[in-house]
Amino acid sequence: MKIVKDAIAGTLESSDLQVKVSPQKQLEIVIHSDVIHQFGDQITIIVEDTLKKLGLTEGLIIIEDKGALDCVIKARVEVAVLRGSEVNELNWRTLK
Amino acid sequence: MNTDIKFAILDNSAKSLNDVKNLLELCNLQLDSNIDLFVVAYANKNQIIASTGLYHNIIKCIAIDPKYRGENLSNQLLNEIINYAADKGIFHLFLYTKPENIRIFNECGFYPLVVVPDLATLMENTPVGIAHYCKELSNNQHSGKKIGSIVMNANPFTLGHQYLVEFAAKECDWLYIFVVSEENSLFSFKDRFNLVQAGTAKIANVSVLSSSEYIVSQATFPNYFLKEKADIEHANTGIDLLLFRNYIAPSLNITHRFVGTEPFSPITNKYNQGMKYWLNQYQTMTPKIDLIEIERKHTNGVAISATAVRRLLNENKINEIKELVPETTWNFLQNNYVKNTERYYENR
Repeated sequence: MKIVKDAIAGTLESSDLQVKVSPQKQLEIVIHSDVIHQFGDQITIIVEDTLKKLGLTEGLIIIEDKGALDCVIKARVEVAVLRGSEVNELNWRTLK
Repeated sequence: MNTDIKFAILDNSAKSLNDVKNLLELCNLQLDSNIDLFVVAYANKNQIIASTGLYHNIIKCIAIDPKYRGENLSNQLLNEIINYAADKGIFHLFLYTKPENIRIFNECGFYPLVVVPDLATLMENTPVGIAHYCKELSNNQHSGKKIGSIVMNANPFTLGHQYLVEFAAKECDWLYIFVVSEENSLFSFKDRFNLVQAGTAKIANVSVLSSSEYIVSQATFPNYFLKEKADIEHANTGIDLLLFRNYIAPSLNITHRFVGTEPFSPITNKYNQGMKYWLNQYQTMTPKIDLIEIERKHTNGVAISATAVRRLLNENKINEIKELVPETTWNFLQNNYVKNTERYYENR
C-alpha cells in the first residue's frame, strides 16, 4: 500500500494529534511531539507498527502530537493513511 | 476552558467583516484585502473573538481577542483553517508572522523557513518541505566554479531575456534559469516555460527550472501585520531573497545572480537594490552571492521589455513585436495570438 494523495486526520488539540500524509517514493516518518523526550520512542514504535500492519511501503507521514494516548495515535494514523491511499478493500483483521 | 466557543466560516456580510476588522485593530493588525475565506470563533452566540484568513495557500490575519488568550484558542483556530484548506485540496500551507510569534505557530505544526530580523518570518506547515525540495533541486547539479542564476517571469520571453541569458551563460560554467511558476500573468506558466526553453535551446550550459512555491512572488506577501510601507518592502524582499540564498542557491552551488537593469519600473529597480543587500551584504550562515546587473538590451534606442510586448499585443500592433522577441516566441505568438484572435481575447 502507498500514499497516492495528500490527506489529513486528527486535530491539534490537547491529547490529540494531527497526521498529515503525502505521496513520496520511500517511506518516511517525521514526528513532532510535545512529549518527545519522555515518550518519543514509544510513539515511534506505535506509528511504525500501525503502518506495518496497514502494509504501507511508500509515503511521507508527518505527525504533530499533542500528548495523545497510544490508542488515539493508532486510530489517527490509520485514518490518515486510509484517506491518502484510496483503499477500497481493506483487511480489517490485520488491523485489530 | 470556554466550552461555548463555536468555529465557522465567516459569512460575507458587511457587519461580520466589520467585526473582524475591529478585532484585528484591537490586536494592532490590519484587514488584508486579499482573503478567500475567514474562519472565526464565536463566543456568547455571535461575538467574534478570534479570526484567521486563507488566501490561496497562505494563512493570514490571525487574531485573538486579548480577553480570550491563554486558552489554547490559537491551536483550535489553526486546526479549523487547516481543515477548511484541506477540504479545498490545499495541504501545503504558508504563514507569515512576526519573529516573536514563531513559538506559538510552531506549536500548531508550522516551521520557520526564513526570518527577516524584527520584522517578519515565513513558516510552512511541514518540517521537511524545503529540505525535500532542495534535495530534488540538487539532482540538477552541474559542476563548476562559477554557477549563475536568473529568475524570470518571461511574460513572454523577449530578445532582452535572451540577451541576459546569453551574457550570463558566457560568464559562467553553468547557468540556471528559474521561471516563475505562479499563474499571475497573461501567459500561462507552461507557455512561459516552453518559450524560455525554446529561446535558450542553443545554449549548451543552461538548465531551465520551475521556480516552485519557494521563490515567493511579491503579490502574495501579506502585509497585515506591518504598518510602515518601507518595512513591508524590506520584509518582502528579505523573505524572498533569503529563501533563495539560504536554500535554493546552496542546493545548486549558485555563486552569482544576474539581473537586467530596470529603466521603467521604480519597484523593480528598488528590488534590484534589495538584492544586493540580501544576497551579498547581509551577514548570514550561507555563502554570499554576487549580483551582476546588466544593462538592458535596446532596440531603436528603447529598452526591450515584456511589458512593451504585451502592450503592443493589446494594441494589435503585431508587426512591431517582431523585432522585440526571438523567432521562437514570435512563432508562438503567431500561432496562438494572431491567427486565432478569438482565443487571444478569451485568454486575456
